[in-house]
Amino acid sequence: MTFKTCLHASVAALAMMASGAVNAEVTVLGWPGGPEETALRAVTEIYNARPDLAAENKVELLFTSRDGFFDKLQVDLAAGSTAFDINLIATYSIGRYAPFMEPITLSDQAGAVFGDTVLKTMQFDGAQYGVPTDLSLHFLYYRSDLIDALLADDAAKAKYSEIAMKHLGKAMEPKAPADWTWEDFVANALYFTQSINPDSPTRYGTVIQAKNLLFNMMVFHSWPRSYGGNWMDDAGAITVDSEAFRTALSQAKMLFDLGATPPDSTSYEYAEANAAYASGQVAAMVQWNAAAGELTAAQAATGTSAPPAGPDGRFTHIHGLGLGLNKAAENKEGAIAFLQWLSTEEAALAYAKAGGAPGLASETAAKLAADRPDLVQVGEYASTYGFVMNGGTSENALSVYEVQAKEFTGYWAGTQDLDTALKNTAAAMTDLLK
Amino acid sequence: MTPRRSVENALLAGPLVLFLLAVLGFPTLLSLIYGFSETSFQTLTTPQFSGLKNFRDVAADPAFWQAAWFSLRFGAITALLQCGLGLALAVYLAPLARRHGWTVAILIIPMIVAPAMMGLMYRLVLHEFAGPVPHYLYSWFGWSPSFLGPANVFKTVVVAETLQWTPFAFLLFLTACQSIPEDLREAAAVDGTRPWRLFWKIELPLMMPTVFVALFIRFIDGFRVFDNIYTLVGAGPGGSTTSMSIYIYETFLRRGEIGKALAAAILLFATAFVVLAAAPRLLRGRSA
Amino acid sequence: MKPRMTLRWIVFAIAAFVMNFPVLATLITAFKPPGEVARNPSLWIEAPTLQNFAAVLTVSDRLNVYHYLWNSTFAALIGAVLPMVVALPLAWAMVRRGVGRGVLFPLVVNLRALPLIIFAIPLYMMYSVVGLLDTRLGLGLILAVVNLPLTVMLLVNAVAEIPAEIEEAAHMDGARLPRLLFKVVLPLCRPALITTFIFGFITAWNEFLFGLMLTTRDAVPVTVGASFFFATSGGGVQWGMAAAVMVVAALPPLVLGLVMYRRITGSMVAGAVKG
Repeated sequence: MTFKTCLHASVAALAMMASGAVNAEVTVLGWPGGPEETALRAVTEIYNARPDLAAENKVELLFTSRDGFFDKLQVDLAAGSTAFDINLIATYSIGRYAPFMEPITLSDQAGAVFGDTVLKTMQFDGAQYGVPTDLSLHFLYYRSDLIDALLADDAAKAKYSEIAMKHLGKAMEPKAPADWTWEDFVANALYFTQSINPDSPTRYGTVIQAKNLLFNMMVFHSWPRSYGGNWMDDAGAITVDSEAFRTALSQAKMLFDLGATPPDSTSYEYAEANAAYASGQVAAMVQWNAAAGELTAAQAATGTSAPPAGPDGRFTHIHGLGLGLNKAAENKEGAIAFLQWLSTEEAALAYAKAGGAPGLASETAAKLAADRPDLVQVGEYASTYGFVMNGGTSENALSVYEVQAKEFTGYWAGTQDLDTALKNTAAAMTDLLK
Repeated sequence: MTPRRSVENALLAGPLVLFLLAVLGFPTLLSLIYGFSETSFQTLTTPQFSGLKNFRDVAADPAFWQAAWFSLRFGAITALLQCGLGLALAVYLAPLARRHGWTVAILIIPMIVAPAMMGLMYRLVLHEFAGPVPHYLYSWFGWSPSFLGPANVFKTVVVAETLQWTPFAFLLFLTACQSIPEDLREAAAVDGTRPWRLFWKIELPLMMPTVFVALFIRFIDGFRVFDNIYTLVGAGPGGSTTSMSIYIYETFLRRGEIGKALAAAILLFATAFVVLAAAPRLLRGRSA
Repeated sequence: MKPRMTLRWIVFAIAAFVMNFPVLATLITAFKPPGEVARNPSLWIEAPTLQNFAAVLTVSDRLNVYHYLWNSTFAALIGAVLPMVVALPLAWAMVRRGVGRGVLFPLVVNLRALPLIIFAIPLYMMYSVVGLLDTRLGLGLILAVVNLPLTVMLLVNAVAEIPAEIEEAAHMDGARLPRLLFKVVLPLCRPALITTFIFGFITAWNEFLFGLMLTTRDAVPVTVGASFFFATSGGGVQWGMAAAVMVVAALPPLVLGLVMYRRITGSMVAGAVKG
């Protein structure tokens, strides 16, 4: 019996290897791990099962390491790799990879399925470079148990006002997180920090992931944006050295200086920040929507809302992941066929049902309301609060995030002052976005 | 030199030279071209000659000098710490190691672990909420330093590197220590020499060549440090933990300034070459 | 004598504990179920489990740890042995005849100071032309380059330690150069060769960046393969699983290091007896 199974398996494996060698399939390099991979596998299965699909156009998936994924992809594309026909792209890296990719035409349904905002996250120089698959934005996560208790306790409210008065110069009242401005966010963070308020149930009021890493800048961007900040104005002048960025950066700096975020958080990225929140020692944080499951599982009394508001309104940084066509692809026709199919409603719905997080137009999302209510929320936030900085899809967008990560974290960690950080950032951005 | 000798010498050096040429010949040539050209990922096949511009850019980049200073400091401090600790452990534990070989096995485990993984391990071990070190510090003393905060991050990466690579120095010194003929020690013991004196007068002088080799290797390895720092804290807030390798890597892949990154590498190589020209003299002095 | 030995044991225990602490903590983490890692940071496991190891050792259509281990073994063997083969003759020629001392030696040794990943692009291009991309041989060749500097340093050092009289005696006996190298130099260098092999194998085994850049599927080494496991359920690092795969990935070089270590001591004892 076991021998038979073994034999069977090895024959199957041999057959697979042989077919892999003979057939020019369509190879897709996807985003490894997580719901993105699961969802891509699910839709690939549906696609490959289509009866009219020729054997040489069947789709095969390839996943590499998440660590250094974009560094490797950069080298692969630049050196003209033929290891894959379709590859992952992200909003901030389209500009960099566009020279090694080819624009594509999506199916007629794409506009209705995804909506213009989301399709734009995959465009560069007016051309469509990819099918949007997943949309990422940020939520404000907060401990509803702690904040409800605060709102119900007059003595605590008085203490809150006293702390706000002392550090922010205003006697502020605690509010429900859905109504927060960034000032409320700061006041709340100070109130829930034990070194400032010894009665605080949590050690820290918030956690800001401030490792020198480009993704952390995306999480931060909603803050200056709500004060009217942008990378550049419509004329193309760099506007990073502005009151908006100054305000947001110095408000955050205050949280670092007063110990309202863990002292190590200048080395934190996604995983560390989540672990801090999960431990129950943090009261509220701004984090990627993808963390919802993990954070709610660890702290059941977790509420979510859109990030806090500023004078210019409420915003969340959005970026999309998608799939596009490698210029050096060996089976372009098959690849284009798959990409077009991916942009149909059938594929988008299947992708969402399998756990992916596509940014869908509200009508499409409504069809999923029973299966994926969270996608309705994501879609709503994206269309209401979503923004991409001017220049956020340009050729050097990735480098702009890198520069900001270096300079801003340096300011927060105290290795340089605000003026230097902004001056350096503006100079580098002028060079990168000209 | 007789003709036969020079043929022999060519045959002896040939394999290494041919191997290097085969694998690195083309990459070196292309890298030299890139270093003197305006090169980005978009212009890999059409680099524009730009003379010394990349070198001027590098020299004018404060981040380059910051990285050079970081690497020099990191390399020197970790090499001294590792060799000091390794030497002390090797000499002191040599009697133990001779009788119980497995003790050495235990002590060299850290250097067998991939540095990139070691960095990841420290990310977990030092995490304020999920790591055992802060956990025990909090439960015993109610306080824990911020290991990776701006004030301590340099010390932390130095200690992490030292703990991982002291075993390397330890192993080299232990081998050297055990190859000291036993009769020398016995003779000293008969003369009534105390252990401390035995170490300074007999063991250390005999181990001096190994000390130099170990210091040198550890310095180079500390200077070029990449994996463990990169996985632990990345380039650091404001670039404060950017070693030379991290600087070159990020300039190359993250910023896509290939010409500039290669210019930095060429500068680094040329400098190290000049410094190292003294090393063969050292070797000659010893073997003669 | 006795108390002195006890003190040595204590020093050994402290050194072993401190230096191995992260490894120990990782080993413990590997036996914690996923939920416990975030909740319980102590070194005590509340509900020990093998599920992390089971997950790592299970072959799926995407993840196959045995395949990665095999790739690493193959590539690391090339990466450790090849530099020794090409470096030993040169080391002898350099020490005894000064060949390559002025230029070649500093040139090679200096390679260790360079982040060799700067060669990623041209290597990638070259490899794709000659068909070495995503092959174990291709990975092994570049790992050999990575190891070359240390190998040259250690072997030059080893040859320099051989007393010249021994070689002269062999020379008097009329031994020709190849015979001299194989019958006299090689055996005398054995401990150094074993040490070099261990260091080289470990370094090659642990290399990450070239493994990442130059392989995609067929030749993925275990350092890169291990990182596949880190993110198998979402963006966050799954610490229990990550710890388990790190333990599995570190085992082969660990076993090799420990087994070969006995040989070093063995050969040294033999040398002492003969001497």
